[in-house]
Amino acid sequence: MNRTFLLQQVLNGLAIGSVYAIFALGYTLIFSVLRIINFTHGAIFTIGAYATYALTGSQFGINGLLAGATLPFALPFVLALLGGSVVAALSGVIVERLAFRPLRTRGADPLLTLVSSLGVAVALVNITQYLFGAEPYSYPDPLQGWPTAMNFGTAGAPVLVRTVQVVIFGVSMVMLVLLTYLMNATRTGKALRAVAEDMTTSSLLGIDTDRLVLLTFVISGFLGGVTGTLIGLSVGVAGPYFGIAFGLKGLAVIVLGGLGDIPGAVVGGLIIGLAEAFVPAQYIAYREAVPFALLFVVLLVRPQGLLGRAQVQKV
Amino acid sequence: MASFLATYDFLLVSMVLAAVLALTLYLPLMAGQLSVASPGFYALGGYIAAIMSTKIFPAGPGLYPVSLVLLEMAVAAVVSGALGLAVGVPALRLRGIFLALATIAFVQILGVVALNLQITGGAVGIFGIPQPFANPIEYMWLAVPLLLVSMVFVARLERTRTGRALVALREDELAAAAMGVNPTYHKVLAFTTSAVLAGAVGAVSAHFINTWNSRQGTFDTSVNLMAFVLVGGSRTFVGPVVGGLVLTALPEALRGVAGVDLLPGWLAAFLRDGRLIIFGVLIAIGTVFFPHGLITPGLLRRLGRWRARAR
Amino acid sequence: MSLRVGMSVSMIAIAVLCCAMIGLAADPPIPIGVSVAQTGPVALAGQEQVLGAQIAEDYFNKHGGVNGRPIKLVFQDGGSDEPTAINAFQNLINVAKVVGIMGPSLSQQAFAADPFAVRAKVPVIGPSNTAKGIAQIGEFVSRVSAPVAIVAPNAVKAAMEINRDLKKVAVLYAQNDAFNKSETETFQQAVKDLKLDLATVQTFQTTDTDFTAQITNVLNVKPDLVIISGLQVDGANLIKQLRDLGYKGLIVGGNGVNTAAIFPICKAKCDGILIAQAYSPAYKSKINDEFKSVYKDKQKKDPPQFSAQAFAGIQVFVEALRALDKKSPIAKMDLAALRVELNKQLISGTYDTPLGEISFTTGPGMGGEIVQKQSYVAQIKMDPDGTKGTFVFVK
Repeated sequence: MNRTFLLQQVLNGLAIGSVYAIFALGYTLIFSVLRIINFTHGAIFTIGAYATYALTGSQFGINGLLAGATLPFALPFVLALLGGSVVAALSGVIVERLAFRPLRTRGADPLLTLVSSLGVAVALVNITQYLFGAEPYSYPDPLQGWPTAMNFGTAGAPVLVRTVQVVIFGVSMVMLVLLTYLMNATRTGKALRAVAEDMTTSSLLGIDTDRLVLLTFVISGFLGGVTGTLIGLSVGVAGPYFGIAFGLKGLAVIVLGGLGDIPGAVVGGLIIGLAEAFVPAQYIAYREAVPFALLFVVLLVRPQGLLGRAQVQKV
Repeated sequence: MASFLATYDFLLVSMVLAAVLALTLYLPLMAGQLSVASPGFYALGGYIAAIMSTKIFPAGPGLYPVSLVLLEMAVAAVVSGALGLAVGVPALRLRGIFLALATIAFVQILGVVALNLQITGGAVGIFGIPQPFANPIEYMWLAVPLLLVSMVFVARLERTRTGRALVALREDELAAAAMGVNPTYHKVLAFTTSAVLAGAVGAVSAHFINTWNSRQGTFDTSVNLMAFVLVGGSRTFVGPVVGGLVLTALPEALRGVAGVDLLPGWLAAFLRDGRLIIFGVLIAIGTVFFPHGLITPGLLRRLGRWRARAR
Repeated sequence: MSLRVGMSVSMIAIAVLCCAMIGLAADPPIPIGVSVAQTGPVALAGQEQVLGAQIAEDYFNKHGGVNGRPIKLVFQDGGSDEPTAINAFQNLINVAKVVGIMGPSLSQQAFAADPFAVRAKVPVIGPSNTAKGIAQIGEFVSRVSAPVAIVAPNAVKAAMEINRDLKKVAVLYAQNDAFNKSETETFQQAVKDLKLDLATVQTFQTTDTDFTAQITNVLNVKPDLVIISGLQVDGANLIKQLRDLGYKGLIVGGNGVNTAAIFPICKAKCDGILIAQAYSPAYKSKINDEFKSVYKDKQKKDPPQFSAQAFAGIQVFVEALRALDKKSPIAKMDLAALRVELNKQLISGTYDTPLGEISFTTGPGMGGEIVQKQSYVAQIKMDPDGTKGTFVFVK
């Protein structure tokens, strides 16, 4: 196999994978602290993308309740990104207060929370459609002056990767570092890990578990908003459903890396990205099955994922 | 009455079939296993019926014989059972969320395969599936017995030794195993029975909706089934049945309510187009206020006492 | 207290009665059902169809309706799945008692729901069902959405005229969508018939947003032409990413990307794409110009194919009703007879629609297939800043 093609495949894999990774970070963070799978992550991601769109002063289309609406001001892209992510974080908090906290105080089964999160996700996505219609939107391009793709090969044998994907890769690495630092080197991180270990004991030891759970949702929601906006930048905000497709693949990513393991989310994402990139051309029709086949095999062989610890069940 | 039937015949039969499908989620749940693999077997059963009735049996004039439909259901049940066994034995060593995820993966993989095989028709699917009945309501002849048989089966199961073993596994798998209950055997039993049932429902459904494609039996179906069981009631077989009946009717009931002329325009529009929003919110609320679902064994006991007192 | 209540209730009752009687006095508007995807993942197409249908309703009611009697569109969401479409159809047929239905959005939904209409003897016009076998579902099923069989080869030929050395072709299509799966079969056949080299066939999903892997495989075979069968969002992203990653050759897009809705996504990179169209905003005719101007007033861009086809569907119903009424007054027909006669009438007519001149095939077992006189190949011309574009006729 010629070297250029191989390099192209690897870079493709990393590009595809970093999108999955950045999505999975928020997903796995909630699992790591609360042991629940939060399907609303895909919906929060979408809300973030739409909020950023509104904050760039852009106008919504003619369908939906808020047809033709624009905000009276327009922010530059990076500020809109931050603002949109704050909106996403707030949405995450609202969801937590309204849907998850009652379940937690009643000691509900995590499976029940999973179902509830599915219901909330369906509701949120459809509310978005109801308000804004189903058409796709594009951000005013912040990368306008830059070349659309970066060449990692030579002029004769170009190996191109779209610039926006390089940006996403960079951001996912930064997020990974920040999150790992937060979890391992700060006091809040220690508290979060304590809550993850045992919520009752942590609260008995004086940790304000409620506030920490809130913080988890804030961070996860913010990450979701950043992810949604960046992906929206790369491929356009494809419609209210564009976050849902990530929700399912995201499951494969976080299990592969290890449920609740933060570097695992990135490792899992990159591996699945690489697996998808390396599917031979004639089997491309089965590409969609690859993450799920990997998920199935990992569950059978090593359910704790690549970086997770084997779960010992105490009697 | 005739007009009611003409409008809602499809919905009524869908409700009954949904109730049966809800039971296929309930069966593994009795053993404490959340398996959302039923949509995969449902899809498989549908394809088997579709392929058999369009490609294998020649299309004659008039209605398609019901006996052939029953044959297709039997074949679908057997094949689904075999696949269920093959997938279940390795997969059911997993617990809790891991099993749920494995079954999600299974359904997704089946979906991709269905999209790509020549025999399943790819994205277009198989259409022109022959009808065994002149009227959609007559599908009740197949759907209702199927529901009754499954209800009786599950009700009796709850009382036998196997049923108690399943409940023991649900309460505490390690303790049950320590007491001599073979976990893998029982879990696989529940899983395979559920697969058999789902396959049979799929076979009927293919005829019922005239066409079959990879959009039937997907993760969305899993979400619906979870809603049926978790909102309807997860501790007694009556729960999923009621959940299936009511929640299938709900979006269409909202459509009907939206049509009533007395409602203000914006409310009617919201009920009509916001059906999915209402559905999602109901699921979320249901899990908070009714964690074991609406129909619980306690409720049934109270209803029983009420009826006894009323006599 | 109860006297006041009694008085108010009686007043309300009288008011209601009066209004009902006034309503009865005039001929009630003729109900036509529209069941498209207003919710769910297909809602983007459904929204465009709703718009096209509403423009048609206003337009034809302004122009006298059906010989003086207005039409009224009854919308019931067909959703994006088969059971919802069936329930919507049942509602329209039995509750709203429509004379005919336009819908559903997806071919798969048509395979499920149309047989119910056939059983009830209600005419159905499919505005966007293009899979093989739709018109064959039954004698009450027809469609105004042309399968691409004619247009596809024309688009490829147009590409060959632009690049005389065109040899290698790469085809990409959305494998999870019936519209595109049927379309790609036609394209691939056309490529083979024109003796070109089909170098690779790549698939994707309509929900995909990243096409890097497929594009790498495509670029690897160094094609002169890339043919894309996808829907608006995925198709537009695919085009954008193809160009971003350095593909400089020709691109032919199928019906799914025949809409100005792709401009916001691929912007300046949409330039130069050849589109096989079942509808062209540039087609010059009185009705298309009027349709276009109403649409542009509302949406500030050219009408997409889905809206035009929806308009045409309603137009067929209205003009058939008019013709039928002239033959034998429809006010005197009972609903069942009206539906049957309407179906016979609409299949036999010829219509000057925004799609061009259309009529339907007749004959046992295969009636209702659209016969479209015009077919178009256009090339997209984008403004240098990438915000506005037009479809320019090529053939």
